[in-house]
Amino acid sequence: MATLLTISAVARVECLRLLRSPTSFTLLLLVPALQILLFGYAIRPSVAAVAVALAGPTAGQGDVVRLARDAGMRVVGHDLRPGGAESLVRAGKVAVGIELPTGPFAPVTAIVDSSDPNLTAAAEARIEAIYWHALAQRNDVADFGPRLRVERLYNPAARADWAFLPALVGAIMMISMLMLGTLGMARERELGTWEALIALPIGRAALIAGKLAPLAVIGALQGVVVLAVGHWVFDLPLRGSVMSLAAILPIFAVAHLALGQALAARARTQLAALQGAVAFYLPAMLLSGFLYPFATLPPWAQRIGELFPLTHFIRASREATLRGGDAGTVLAHGVPIALFAVVMLALSAMQQRVQLD
Amino acid sequence: MRPGDGADVLVGMLGAGKRFGRRWVVRDLNFSLGAGAMLGLVGANGGGKTTTLRMLAGLLRPDCGAGIVLGHDLSRPNRRMRRDIGYMSQRLSLYPELTIAENLAFRAAVLGLNDRRTTIGEAVDRYGLDGVLRTRFDRLSGGWARRAQFAAVTLASPKLLLLDEPTAGLDVASKRAIWGWLTDFARAGHVVIISTHDLVEAQVCPTILHYADGLAEGPMRPEALIARTGSLDLEEAVLRLAGRPS
Repeated sequence: MATLLTISAVARVECLRLLRSPTSFTLLLLVPALQILLFGYAIRPSVAAVAVALAGPTAGQGDVVRLARDAGMRVVGHDLRPGGAESLVRAGKVAVGIELPTGPFAPVTAIVDSSDPNLTAAAEARIEAIYWHALAQRNDVADFGPRLRVERLYNPAARADWAFLPALVGAIMMISMLMLGTLGMARERELGTWEALIALPIGRAALIAGKLAPLAVIGALQGVVVLAVGHWVFDLPLRGSVMSLAAILPIFAVAHLALGQALAARARTQLAALQGAVAFYLPAMLLSGFLYPFATLPPWAQRIGELFPLTHFIRASREATLRGGDAGTVLAHGVPIALFAVVMLALSAMQQRVQLD
Repeated sequence: MRPGDGADVLVGMLGAGKRFGRRWVVRDLNFSLGAGAMLGLVGANGGGKTTTLRMLAGLLRPDCGAGIVLGHDLSRPNRRMRRDIGYMSQRLSLYPELTIAENLAFRAAVLGLNDRRTTIGEAVDRYGLDGVLRTRFDRLSGGWARRAQFAAVTLASPKLLLLDEPTAGLDVASKRAIWGWLTDFARAGHVVIISTHDLVEAQVCPTILHYADGLAEGPMRPEALIARTGSLDLEEAVLRLAGRPS
């Protein structure tokens, strides 16, 4: 009986503490409720999201376009010259290109961007179904028509680990840097060392630079280690400008460290700061193309996804590894990450100015 | 009159106050201090002592009135002002994972001291830290930790020393040592402002400010407060002013 009383007393105190901590309460109940709604509407992968282009002789394209549309695919280009569909796949404009036969014995070639097989596997199966359906409609067992040849670019064996690893580099870094930035600052504030620090003659820029520089180096090293393990252990190809990706790593780290610091400056406790970090990285992982193909998200969710540095990092990482992107292509994906970092640094600096007030 | 109008005034407040939201934490702060002054801040918890120290350290801006510290306007605190202020918060706020030597070296670098090795060596000798120099701050006892913190705060020999309950939780010997150092500092011409709940110790200060419900009375001599309330000592005087029988 005494034990029960003790347990209920402890439980009551815990409940009161939670109820009287608005931040924790909001983050524990309101944020998950919003996230369920958000993700429930956003995560609906379908073949319709796969962009398809058609090239080759004009005759017969109409039927294929109709069949593809009936199968739920998004035909974004047709009546292209031979080779045009493959060019669009290589340029990253479409996920699947269908080259119709130019001669009597040439095959129908489906060129698939397999850098994200999660996106294209269903489309590949659907194309094969369309093909067999079309053959069946010919009702002529003697004429099998042109063969179907599926050519997978970048990841011929459609290895899931190859698709996952470049994105994993970013996800691991994002979580670690957010935690480092958030907990480091929140702990300093709880310990009282922060108050002592800002009483010293240190400028905000020097303070932020001094705090972030070693952590950014650690973050970049972490990215290099994950990438190296991917390469040496899982044979992840490094076909593109890996040096450009390496240049993006510290910027990506700073973006999340500064965000973590800004969150911690607003939060009163380490727990609240941590919950703020989780509230950021969960949607980032779901809406960036890390767990679900970006192209399968509805347009409004894609617009939100574009705000996360992870979305752009995954693109840069896949370019530098699987797709063989050159420096310009890889670095172009670093621009939004750098912009995010600048905004977060400014926010962090502003928070630090007002934080004792 | 503006605070600090007098040529020899180093720290001055004129009607300064601070509020958080709608609640005024402290109001009507009026005092001016010259070189060698030693001011004790006494009164009940929540009276505004820490807020006053934070305003003087440039960590909080006054919401009313004016304040000047070492020629700098407190509504626009800056780095140069902080170079001449030694602020010691209530908490033990050196880096716990670093040794005393590392903590002092960090302070010396941030303060831009020229001869860091000599300055640190002098501080170590003065405060008897030689035996714990290579010890992590979080492994020190309360007394040694305060001693180390005091050494860090006074490393650059600041013109203004602000200390928030520097002797809280210390044994008698450590308390005496710290008050001895504070008195030496004031004698050397530095301004020393200390918040304390130990009213026996507070009487070491020639002048005190008494805080009650966010209003500060003074500065005055401790004896003046004792006499005005008809008390036997400062403790009884403060209790009477707080409306509590001694």
